[in-house]
Amino acid sequence: MTNLWSRVAPLLADAERPARYLNHEFGCVYKEDAPFRFCMVYPDTYELGQANQAVRILVNRVNAERGMGAERAFLPAPAFCDTLRDEGVALFSLEGCRPLAEFDVIGVTLPHELAATNILEALDLAGIPLRADARRDGDPIVVAGGPCAFNPEPYAPFFDAFNIGEGEEMLVEGLRLVRDRQDAGASRREIVRALADVGGWYVPSLYRWRGEDEAQEAGSWIEPLCAGVPAVVEKRVFEGFAQSPGWEPNIVPFAEVVHDRLNVEILRGCARGCRFCQAGMMYRPVRERSADNVVESVVTGLAETGYDEVSLTSLSSTDHSQIAEILTRINAACKGRGVRVSVPSQRLDSFGVEMAELVAGQKKGGLTFAPEAGTQRLRDVINKNVTEEDLFAAVDAAFAAGWRRCKLYFMIGLPTETDEDVKGIASLAQRAYDRAKAAVPPDQRGSVRLSVSVAVFVPKAQTPFQWDGQITPEETLRRIQLLRNSVKYKAVDVNWHDPKTSFVEAVMSRGGREVAAVVEEAWRRGARFDAWTECFDEDAWRGAAEACGVDPEAVAQTTYPTDYVMPWSHVSTGVSVRFLALERKRAAEGRTTEDCTFGRCSACGACPALDAGNELAQPRTSGGSNARKEAADE
Amino acid sequence: MSDPRLFRLRVTFAKQGRLALLSHLEVARALERAVRRSGLPFAVSQGFSPHMRIAFGAALPVGVGGTSEIFDLLLTDYVAPARALCALQAKSASDLMPSACRYVEPQAPAASVAFPVGTYVAQLTDEVRELTVPKEVRVVRKKKEKTLVVGEFLRQEVEVAGNEVRFALESKPSGSLRPDVLMREICAASVSASGEALRVLAMTRTAQDPA
Repeated sequence: MTNLWSRVAPLLADAERPARYLNHEFGCVYKEDAPFRFCMVYPDTYELGQANQAVRILVNRVNAERGMGAERAFLPAPAFCDTLRDEGVALFSLEGCRPLAEFDVIGVTLPHELAATNILEALDLAGIPLRADARRDGDPIVVAGGPCAFNPEPYAPFFDAFNIGEGEEMLVEGLRLVRDRQDAGASRREIVRALADVGGWYVPSLYRWRGEDEAQEAGSWIEPLCAGVPAVVEKRVFEGFAQSPGWEPNIVPFAEVVHDRLNVEILRGCARGCRFCQAGMMYRPVRERSADNVVESVVTGLAETGYDEVSLTSLSSTDHSQIAEILTRINAACKGRGVRVSVPSQRLDSFGVEMAELVAGQKKGGLTFAPEAGTQRLRDVINKNVTEEDLFAAVDAAFAAGWRRCKLYFMIGLPTETDEDVKGIASLAQRAYDRAKAAVPPDQRGSVRLSVSVAVFVPKAQTPFQWDGQITPEETLRRIQLLRNSVKYKAVDVNWHDPKTSFVEAVMSRGGREVAAVVEEAWRRGARFDAWTECFDEDAWRGAAEACGVDPEAVAQTTYPTDYVMPWSHVSTGVSVRFLALERKRAAEGRTTEDCTFGRCSACGACPALDAGNELAQPRTSGGSNARKEAADE
Repeated sequence: MSDPRLFRLRVTFAKQGRLALLSHLEVARALERAVRRSGLPFAVSQGFSPHMRIAFGAALPVGVGGTSEIFDLLLTDYVAPARALCALQAKSASDLMPSACRYVEPQAPAASVAFPVGTYVAQLTDEVRELTVPKEVRVVRKKKEKTLVVGEFLRQEVEVAGNEVRFALESKPSGSLRPDVLMREICAASVSASGEALRVLAMTRTAQDPA
């Protein structure tokens, strides 16, 4: 077994932020002698990857197995990638500084649509063949998971298998199988064939990719090449989530990473049902950890890590049925220790502000709300069950409580959007600004700032809007210009994302297996770190699409009827395609659908399909947590 | 840091091994976290964003280790120095390890200015046949080029023994000469036994003293 440290160390003197490559962080575990080795790879730099919860959870899970050792690897920063290549040093794991090619299994998380070329950069630096069909016995089995695995096709040729859904149990089951088969002398092909029998594992090489007409005729883009493999791969759910402790061993990095704090996941899933939102469909059902579990996890976690900040993470933390109790108890437990508590994904009403106030202390930075659309009509279309009055009540409460800055998130290019909706964003923001000003003392009105941040709608696989095309980058710019012209107040800033990268996101989000060739060609033309504005290379992507004969506009921008079979129809989140189509129809009619954790079941299909159900710590009420009154009484 | 109700604990620690590559900010953050893990009764500042009352000694450049680095920590309760040291050691990374604790007067000079003289030892890739210490070093600070007169900072002659170079630098209120910058210039100006270019393999601050 190779340890590359003696070759890496001399290169670090000239590396930017060498702390990225050092390992030896507090809390890191190295099972040096484990016979079976797994390496978890995050396809971006340490600063982004070390904060990722999937990396932490899965490394812990594998290390808990007897005879298995898990290590971490990250893509070096661009300049250090070049250094490694020039010096002929292979990409290495942190714990053992071992070349990736020496691991039994490599697991890559697919966190977002702009990481595809980084995966190839990592495999190439590791000296592992990019395509699964070029790997031989002795090469690692390379698997992927994470949000983008719900449309695996643009990545399919690069991976031996995909982990669909929550990896807590299924990853370890898969690794046990690989180990046992390897020990029995099975070939690569036999191993991946066996993996396809384990729930949640999708092995693309066992299926033929059909042409469009054939796929529409057959009702699926894939045709099994051997008997017994599933026609549809259903995601796995970690059923023990709610009961499992929110604290687990944590590495405390030396280098400053994004979200450099203790993260305690307080609930998983969100059933609000925003029709553009992939996470809202992907992580159903909703499961809450109890207040006792969360508070104990926070107290233990802070003591074990030494962090001075804790974030209560989830898709909608203020929807937790016991959030007020949780925050009140954490405040009491951390009093006088200089600990900050943060609650991401602010709920857009006065209760959300009350909760923000509970943890803000005296320092009030900015508050962020996401109305997503500028008019009630469009908010009903997207099922963002929030009214103008909710927003204004939140703004009133926030500025009265002492906040002076507020950011509003919107999307542009949502299905059915008209110029009136775009102008509606300006109108809503300006009226919110008026409310904010009215809520603060006259001498402080000059310090009120409100900013509007707009992103381009990216149609996401597995959502009711998966059939809707993205608007063109030119049209996006026209609408942004319209918005900018409609904002008359100087104190209201407008910021927007580059539509060119959003276009690539849409291609990756909606593409079929043919897009994989484009990814590979774009990488060969120099594309990498596409999510970094300064690295994004549009020409590489354009040229690659042309060279591969793929029309990227068609992939990103075509709108289909809801009976069109999409390229990911063989992967299921548990939510039925029928429900997605029904939701698309309701969107067109401007009809909203209730959140089943507050109201009645929306029949999305996830619970029966996955044989699971919502698990709430106590019933939710629309006004906020049940514990709200008790907390206020204290 | 002067508050008569608080106890000012001075901790000596080492920054060594691969953690010599940490920046001052990374070291500071890591030490603060070790203090929190240790369970010592650290004091917290009042005000808009309360934080731990901790103050760090003179910064070391990235890549330079130290055997007697210091930080001062204000405690709300008295903890016997030996017990405080045990608590810190139990929760520290092995290459960022406290080695001594003692209490100092609340009015004592800050950790960052109390010991302006640093002694450094550098291991080079080769033995030095002919040592040349440049008279001046040009550095860029805040985009402005500045010429530093080496003699103003050096406390004694630079010593050489084989591939080891030893020197002491004093930092001035007006500024200081970085040991890694000085060594780079010395390497460029000096001649090695083999004739090959000299490079620094490792550098350590071995002592910090008052002026």
